[in-house]
Parts: sequence; C-alpha cells; structure tokens
Amino acid sequence: MTAELAEREPALEVTDLNVRYGRMHAVRDACLIVPAGRVVTLIGETGSGKSSLALAAARLLPSSATITGRVAIAGRDTSGLGSGEFRRVRASLLGCIAQDAMAALNPVVPVGRQVGELFTQHAGMSRQQAREAAVAALAQVEIRHPAAVARLYPHQLSGGMRQRVMIAMAVALSPPLIVADEPTTALDVSTQAEILALIGELRGRMRSGFLWITHDMGVVAELADWAAVMYAGRIVEQGPVETIFDAPAHPYTEGLLRTRRDLRSGPVGAPLFQIPGSPPSPGEEPAGCAFAPRCSRATQVCAEVDPGLEPVRRDVGEGGSFGHVAACHHPVGRSAGASSGLAQGRSVEGQRP
Amino acid sequence: MARGLIRRLVFGLIAIAGVIVLAFLLEFVVPGDPARAIAPRATSLQVLANIRAQLHLNQPLIVQFAGYFGNLLRGNLGTSYIQHQPVAAVIGPRLLTTGVLALAGVVAEVIIGGSLGILAALYSRVRALIGAVNLTLLAVPIFVLGLLLLLLFGFKLGIAPVSGGAGPAELVLPALTLGLIGAPWYAQIVADQMQESLASSYVRTAVSKGLPDSYILRRHVLRNVLSPAITMVGLDLGSYLSGVVTVEVVFVWPGIGLLAVNSLHNLDRPIVMGTVIVGAVAVVFFNLVADVLRMFVDPRTREEP
Repeated sequence: MTAELAEREPALEVTDLNVRYGRMHAVRDACLIVPAGRVVTLIGETGSGKSSLALAAARLLPSSATITGRVAIAGRDTSGLGSGEFRRVRASLLGCIAQDAMAALNPVVPVGRQVGELFTQHAGMSRQQAREAAVAALAQVEIRHPAAVARLYPHQLSGGMRQRVMIAMAVALSPPLIVADEPTTALDVSTQAEILALIGELRGRMRSGFLWITHDMGVVAELADWAAVMYAGRIVEQGPVETIFDAPAHPYTEGLLRTRRDLRSGPVGAPLFQIPGSPPSPGEEPAGCAFAPRCSRATQVCAEVDPGLEPVRRDVGEGGSFGHVAACHHPVGRSAGASSGLAQGRSVEGQRP
Repeated sequence: MARGLIRRLVFGLIAIAGVIVLAFLLEFVVPGDPARAIAPRATSLQVLANIRAQLHLNQPLIVQFAGYFGNLLRGNLGTSYIQHQPVAAVIGPRLLTTGVLALAGVVAEVIIGGSLGILAALYSRVRALIGAVNLTLLAVPIFVLGLLLLLLFGFKLGIAPVSGGAGPAELVLPALTLGLIGAPWYAQIVADQMQESLASSYVRTAVSKGLPDSYILRRHVLRNVLSPAITMVGLDLGSYLSGVVTVEVVFVWPGIGLLAVNSLHNLDRPIVMGTVIVGAVAVVFFNLVADVLRMFVDPRTREEP
C-alpha cells in the first residue's frame, strides 16, 4: 500500500475534520485517507458520526452544520472552494451512492435522463449524445437491455436495478472518489452479493477510491482494504481490514466483532453477546474516553483523559500492522485474546432464532 | 391505464345521474308554484290550471321525472318557462361567459398562489409573512373581497368598470377576486410539496451530481409539485364552471351562476335543472382531464392500483 500511496494522490484525505450541528459535536478531529483504487470503510452504530463524516467530505450536509478541517479529493483541497466553484467540479471529483435508491432517484424522471443529465451538464454533450452515453453507462453496470431500461421510471425497476442505476450515475464521469452510504442495506442478500461483486469489479477497472459507510461487518470483510471504526463522533481505531478483524485493539471494535461472531457461528440458542450500556447522547462531551462507561477495561485514567489515536504495539510477537492505530489507554493485546476486557460483558436475554 | 379511466368515467356518470335525481327532488321541496310565476299577476284559476296541465305539473312526481329524464337522454333539456326558449340556447352563451371567468380565475389563482408557494418554500424568511397573507385571504368572505376591490378600483380609483358586463375590462376584477380567494390553497400545496421535494433524497442526489440549482428546480422539483396542483386546477375549473354565484352576482357577470340564481327566484325549473346538469358534467369532466394530465406528469399514476 505504501508504494501506491506514493505513486498516486489519495482519492480522499481528511484532516482534523470536525462537524457540529449547533451544540452537538457529531464528528471530532477525524483524520482519514482513502488511497486511490482502495475501499476504506467507516464502521459504526447509528449516530456514531460515520455518515456526517462522509457527507461532510462530499459536502452534502445541510447548511446548519458547521464544518472545520481540511478535505482534499485527489490532491485538491475542496474545503477552500466556494459552493458554486465546488458544484462545477464536484461531479468530476466524486460520485455518491445512496442507501435507498428508490428515494434517491427522482420518481418522475426516466432513469436514462437522470444518468444523461450528468453528461449534458458536465461533459457538454447534446441531449442525443447524452442519451447514448447514458445507455453506455447503464451497460457498464451490467444492466441488460440498457436502452430499454433507460426509458423506464425508478418504480418500474427492481431494487437491485435501481442501485445499479445509482452506481452508474456515481461512476459516470469516472471520479477519483466514490462515497457509498450503506448501498447494500436495503437489498436482499443475493442482490447484495451481486452489487458487491459489481463494485469490486468497477474498483479494479476504474481505480477510484471508495469511502464505504456501513454497520455490516460482513460487507467490510468482503470488500474493504482498510477499516475505520467510529464511536461517539470519533475514529477510535483504524487499520488494514484483516488486522482490525483478527486483532482489534479497541475494546469497542472487539465488542462489535464478538457480537457478529456470536450471530454467525455461535451455538444455536446460546445468548448473544451484547456490549453493555448505550452510547453517550449526542450533546454529551465526556471528559475522558467516550466508551469508558461501557468498557470493563476502563480505569481511572479512562474517565479523566481522552486517549488519542496511537500506533498499536503488541505485547508479544510481531509489531502490529502498518498504520494500525487505536484510541485506547488499555488496548486489547494479542496475548489477552478472548479473555479480554469485554469478557464479562452482560449477555442478552434474547435467543438466536 | 385505460381501464382506470373507464372506471372513473362510469363513476362520474353515476355521480351525474345522482345529482340530477337529487336536484329534481329538491325543486319540489322549494315552495312556490311555477304556474303563478309564469302567469301575469291577476290570473283566473282556470288559466293557472291550463298552464299546469301544459307543463305536466299536475302529474305525479315520478311521471314528471320519467318524462324529464327521457327527454334528457334524447339530448333535450326542455324549454324555459319564462323565456320560452330551449334551455340549451339559454345556457349556451352563459356557459361561455362563465367559462371565460373560470379560466381567468384559475389562471390568476395559479399565478398568485404558485408564486407565493414557491417564495415560501425557497425563502424561509418570508414564509411566516406568506402564511399570514394566506390566512387573511382565507378568512375574507368572497363577496367582501369582491366589493372591496370594486370600491377601490371601480369607485375610488375609477380604473375598473362598475356597470357589469362580459367584456375584457369587466373581467379583470372578478378574475382577480377568484384568484385571490383561491390563491392560499395553491400557495399551501405548492409550498408543502416543494419543501418536501427540496428535502428529498432525490434532490440530494441531484446536488451530488453537481447540477446547477436552477436546473434542479426546473427538472427535479417542479415536476414533483405539478401533480397535486393539476388535481386542484381540475377541481377548481369544474366547480367554477358550475357557477361562481357570489362573484357573478357582485360583479353582475352574466354567467351561469347569475342565471341559476335568477331562475331559482322565478321557479324556472328547466333552467335550474340545466345549470345543475352543466355543473355536474363540468366537475366530472375536468376531474377526468386532470387525471389524464397527471398520468403524463407522474408516471406512477399510470399503473393500475
């Protein structure tokens, strides 16, 4: 990865990003890099700030949000651009894939036109040329009979087809960055797999960087190169996806993984693991680590001093992965293994079906 | 799509038939004897009886209705008791006059209401002000507004005719009255739809595609606002054509509403029935037209439910 980083500008570089809605601090001091041709995933619960971070990078937040920090897309600092200036370049810098394609497509405009307007507005094409280009773009995302589909309206398409149309719009102008907000959540499992395969294929072909928001760890494992875990507005851990999966350092990440492991391969009927407690409410600004009240590894220092992101050092054996960082005073060590801080976590009454 | 339209048409015809029956019955509830209205003041009972016999007024209600309905099916609306002309010949020109006023009124309310709605949706600072304007217009009775306009522009400023009539100059004030009375409804529906559309996910998609604001408004927002507005235009055209009685009376606009009122006073039953039927047909027809138009604007309404 290091070689590629040097070879090309990162698709997205976010430095010290803060997002506030009035007094609510939705994203705190986030730093994140999406290298070209890579998939970086943002994992977190609802309200963790993952969508705010991604939408701030894509400049899609409402004007009520205050954003500070630096955002650079393909080496270009966009935080300094005026809104009109940014509008003109945005489609060539980034594409967006929304979660619910049904809502994200205009119900009264044929999908071919919705793809085609990118070409008339940004590539200076005539309507006839744009129509042909739109059909070609639909074919790119493996829609069969693209010319016929182009004339249809969103409600006449299946969920998978609609998401393909969304993807076709996002990649139409081959932008270096693509922001995807849980694009497979609304789909059934087999369609989900098709869409993931399509995105994997497009990534290889286009060399765009993907910022992928999700709470589904399964998607992360399949597609992502890099994972960043968010909790209460902060990136609490990030690193190569295998490292995050195999050797999480932050107790919160470990808890997330454990919940998923129980769900997938735990004995039938056994209680599911659940992280005790709930995240701090949006207005709260805890003095120390935001996760401390829910963490069994927490000590006095966790409640008082906010831990910064530090490179993860392992107790024994290898020195950890390059770039793996976590914000924790008492990171989960490799040697600690399963008997980690969350081992005493309360179990849920609910049973697996 | 065609089946849906046919179903609506059938329901519309049933509704029209219902209106005819109801109006016919109501006329017999209205006290008064048409024969006395027709005959000169001091008339012998024999003359009155002759008139009643001539008009079949002495027959049972059901027989009278059967006779009327039979004629109606043959396209015969009957003859005016007072003017001794075929009802169609009396109503025809009046319908045209009312049609002009209805159309001008709808155009005025769409322009006034639509602009207010768009302003309210786009600029939050004027939203409260426009809300107050809407509320005021809703609270003013139509005849009060009409008379006020007449006083101001007709008598005080002397720039509008006050004598009544159906010329272009006489059209301005009644159309403006209709427009102002109808505007708040359009303002509200346009503002609501537009705000919903502006906050929608598909507009965010359009923004994320880097489309210019004016383009997004034209291509993505307004088309979604159009559909409910069209429905309302259909309703308004229908109901205005069936007679904007108050406005026509205030401005002495010689339309169907004025005719209906006068005929009701004179117990000229065929004319009253004629105006009722024209109104019912107009309502059904323009609703149907609105449905068809909506199918062009909103593809989702094309599908059978």
